[in-house]
Amino acid sequence: MVDFGTAEVTLEMVQASQLGMKAFSAALAVGLTGLASAIAEMTIGSAAVGATAENRDVFGLVLLLTVIPETIVIFGLVVALLLMF
Amino acid sequence: MLWPERMRRLLIAAPKSEIETIIKELYRHKVYHIEDFVPESESGGLSIGHPLPEASSAAETLIKVRAIENACGIDPARFEARMKIPASRVREIIRTDLSAIQKEVEDLVNSRSKLETLKKEHEQRARELEPFTAIPLDLEFYRGYRGFTVFAGHISHDVKIDVPHEKYFSDKVTGNMIVVVVQNEHQEEVERILLNAGFQALAIPEENGAPTDRLQAHLDEIRRIDDEIAAINQKLAEIREKHAELLVACDELLTADVERAEAPLRFATTEETFISEGWVPDDRADEIREALERVTNGRIYIEELEIEDDSRVPVEYDNPSFATPTQLLVDLYARPRYSELDPTLLVTIVFPIFFGLILGDVGYGAILLAMSLGLRKFLKGEGMRSLLKVLSYASVSSIVFGVLYSEFLGYSLPWEALIFSRHLNIGGHATAHGPQVVELLLLAIWIGILHVTLGRVLGMANARRLYHGKHATKAVIANAGWIGVMWGILLMIWSLFPIPLMPNLTGLPVLFMGLNTSAVVGAILILMGVIGIAQENILEIVELPTIISHVLSYARLVAVGLSSVAIAMMVNYLAIGMIIEPQLEAITPIGVIAIIFGVLLFVLGHLLNTALGILGGGLHSLRLHYVEFFTKFYKGGGIKYKPFGKRSKFTEE
Repeated sequence: MVDFGTAEVTLEMVQASQLGMKAFSAALAVGLTGLASAIAEMTIGSAAVGATAENRDVFGLVLLLTVIPETIVIFGLVVALLLMF
Repeated sequence: MLWPERMRRLLIAAPKSEIETIIKELYRHKVYHIEDFVPESESGGLSIGHPLPEASSAAETLIKVRAIENACGIDPARFEARMKIPASRVREIIRTDLSAIQKEVEDLVNSRSKLETLKKEHEQRARELEPFTAIPLDLEFYRGYRGFTVFAGHISHDVKIDVPHEKYFSDKVTGNMIVVVVQNEHQEEVERILLNAGFQALAIPEENGAPTDRLQAHLDEIRRIDDEIAAINQKLAEIREKHAELLVACDELLTADVERAEAPLRFATTEETFISEGWVPDDRADEIREALERVTNGRIYIEELEIEDDSRVPVEYDNPSFATPTQLLVDLYARPRYSELDPTLLVTIVFPIFFGLILGDVGYGAILLAMSLGLRKFLKGEGMRSLLKVLSYASVSSIVFGVLYSEFLGYSLPWEALIFSRHLNIGGHATAHGPQVVELLLLAIWIGILHVTLGRVLGMANARRLYHGKHATKAVIANAGWIGVMWGILLMIWSLFPIPLMPNLTGLPVLFMGLNTSAVVGAILILMGVIGIAQENILEIVELPTIISHVLSYARLVAVGLSSVAIAMMVNYLAIGMIIEPQLEAITPIGVIAIIFGVLLFVLGHLLNTALGILGGGLHSLRLHYVEFFTKFYKGGGIKYKPFGKRSKFTEE
């Protein structure tokens, strides 16, 4: 018989791993929503630059339109904060 | 204060002989917003008036003045005059000196553009000559052969040619340079060899002598032309120095002349009379009426008309002076309509609070306050001024919230946070109870609930003013419905879960199906609310989820703020905790460099965070107003009130 050995899982290890999963989920929440915001802002941003080139007066308005998808990442950040604290 | 300025609609009719006097008086008062006359088929013999006789000559002179200003780089909008010049003197100068100045400037500009063309030519020649400088051959040797062919151009590498030839190769210039001279009968063969090595023929410059000398000659010429252009620019600068004040005064006076002379184009006329409709603020109406009657000796008929359509009324803000800068932010969205509530005052109060909640830091607040006060000297223009004023309010609020949060550039102040702490556990600097994220988020949600409810209440007030009859009632009920659904959802949530900082209604007596009193009340509210919304427009039902998303959106007040705290604390930890402090224990020469680097990192990090703070704090607060708040009640789209006339900056009558 080959002895494969046995690994002991202690409570501390489980807790540490849970903490790790929490941090990992928080990272996913911020990271993925960040990507989503970025993709949305990409389209709006390029259109905004085009519009500003045509007419400088719309700068303030399009700057605002550009930050509208930021809601997505903010919800992600809120979720991450709730996970961590 | 919460409504735009009240307007009166005036109709002015007078004989044509009085037209000049009346226009002049209206222009001087600068209160009358002319409504342009649009001729229609049934206008009953009315036609657009003709400009006053002096219009064309004034416009012509104005173009001259503008051309001079343009050439000298004078911008009247940014010019600060030391003193006002009497209008009579300006007219005198326009008659006597203007054409001389114009001639001088025109000559200078003409000769400058000639020199610029010449310079471009020389630059072109110099570019063509440059590759040839690598070959030690005079330019006349490249041409004029009958029995030989000359190849000259760029090539990727040197080539070997088997037929009798003369060859020069140089790799000293970009793209290399090769010159090959062969007898005509070998031309094709050599051309093939060269083309295989990527040969690109160059045109041979039409000049004589050594290429280096010629190149130098062109460069010298360019330098000489540059000097001449600089001298001309110097002269133009002198003219600007000497005549700028005069020119802006002429510009202003002539602009006024042209505007006055062209005013009849906006009036309706018959053969002997003219009629004009326009708008005057309520409190100035009597004054302008009396003034007009006085100057015309009563040869004028003024009637006040009913306001029929509110979309045609020009809108002027009527706000206390501290709120006027915020009008810029409201204008950015849309000017209120005449019968609509003007949200400027609310924005003036709430915007800085939101900004402070996000960027609550004494250090950043102080930096922004210093910036907004300091930049006021350099940034001219009304828009910029207003923006800086808004920023200064926001930064004061930021300092106040910094004191409450106990934050200074990410460090804590000597006291515990007076409201909720935002100090994160970065670099082991956690305070007693760490960041109170949940409490802060709930606070933000409360702000959201109240702000959205306020928006809906204003929506009810607006609906009664904007719409009439049945439509108004429907709109009011719909707005009440939205409030009902929102608070119904809240009551149901409170009845199910105990939430800190919010009323705990889980303990109320259960009525049926496990629902307690508050849940039942909540459900009834939701049901009635949905009916209320649907009776105005059934399609609005699909918008119901926005109740939750809009309220949750206020979480950004905390989330964006916490991210800025995190950046500040991380900069501190990197720069001071990890770089500067360990070096201070034992100072070494390398340590000094590390400390300098640490200080640089500290400064740059906080600069970046300040910039992000303005963007984050400003844009997100503004967005909460535009998207979450204004959509509840604000329509916008009013016409800007543009009184006929101009305050003189550079001239006086």
